[in-house]
Amino acid sequence: MPTQATRYSALAQIFHWVIAGLIVVQFTLARLAEPLPLGIHKLALLARHKSVGMTILMLAVLRLLWRLRHSAPQLPSGMTRFERIAARGTHIAFYVLLFAMPLTGWMMSSAKNYSVSWFGLFTWPNLIGKNETAFDFLRATHDTLSYVLFAVAVLHILAALKHHFWDKDDVLVRMLPFTRGARRS
Amino acid sequence: MTRSKMRFVAGACAAALLMSGTISSIASAAAYSADATSRLEFTGVQAGAAFKSLFHQFTAAVDFDPAALASARIEVTIDMNSVDSGDKDRDGTMRGADIFDVAHFPTAHYVTRSVTRTATGFSAVGALTLHGVTKDVPIEFKFIPGAAGATLTGTADLKRLDFGVGRGDWKNTDWVADAVNVAFSLNLKPKT
Repeated sequence: MPTQATRYSALAQIFHWVIAGLIVVQFTLARLAEPLPLGIHKLALLARHKSVGMTILMLAVLRLLWRLRHSAPQLPSGMTRFERIAARGTHIAFYVLLFAMPLTGWMMSSAKNYSVSWFGLFTWPNLIGKNETAFDFLRATHDTLSYVLFAVAVLHILAALKHHFWDKDDVLVRMLPFTRGARRS
Repeated sequence: MTRSKMRFVAGACAAALLMSGTISSIASAAAYSADATSRLEFTGVQAGAAFKSLFHQFTAAVDFDPAALASARIEVTIDMNSVDSGDKDRDGTMRGADIFDVAHFPTAHYVTRSVTRTATGFSAVGALTLHGVTKDVPIEFKFIPGAAGATLTGTADLKRLDFGVGRGDWKNTDWVADAVNVAFSLNLKPKT
């Protein structure tokens, strides 16, 4: 049964912050790897990028399953219709991107005929066959989506800060561990 | 040169000619070359994931009669430039100076020295010259005679760093494994 709470549960917070942290790692690894020539350093960085990406994909599956069985705490009553739509849209975009980013990355690797290993422990199957044209398209898509993700994340962070400092409601605090989320509006 | 020495040399030459004639007549009874449908590939491990590479260009000359293993001989010459791992960037890197260095070592060569029977087929010891380094590499194989020739399939395990394949950063074995598996499937046609 869906439950309605005033705060995000511990599990929801873990999903949120672990995935957020891993996304920062992903951007960092990608930025470090990008300018390098094909060599051992690029290989190592991209291998980690792929392993972390597959971790995010697995967490995204669990998180989506969890989310389908639980509802998020209600939004503060003072929000306008536009703000509610923007909040809803941002969160849907995040869920879509949590799948689209790793899947396009995984397909990119498959198209380039580089199988994806998960931290050297096991190898994921190739999603599609070797195809240079598909690779170029997927790479462009993965790149573009990364900018979209960055933009959505900036919007998300600014909105959370706006709620906290401008509206002075509990929207930010209820996702923060070690707080009680006492303030309501 | 004295007369006796000349006679000895002439005798030795005649004996050598005779022997080589004998060997080639034995060998020609079962002398094959690999046709264009033959495959030679290796599997490496890169960043934890296996990848396969083919060599499109290679020649193989096989003298093989299961009843006369003493005269068995498998000789393979590989055009290293024909490496194909399914990604042109990786192929370019492998051809480069730090890995196969095809500019200096355009071919690899393998020739067996001895062949023995095993429980499941045959094994051979031979010398592999790769990247200018020659070392013994054993192979395991099966030989199946057919109507118009034979098939010879088998594998070998080697360590790339034994042959200096991977210089500088590419010596790293955390991201590119040292162990490489070679597999071959030769479709043999009688030599004409």
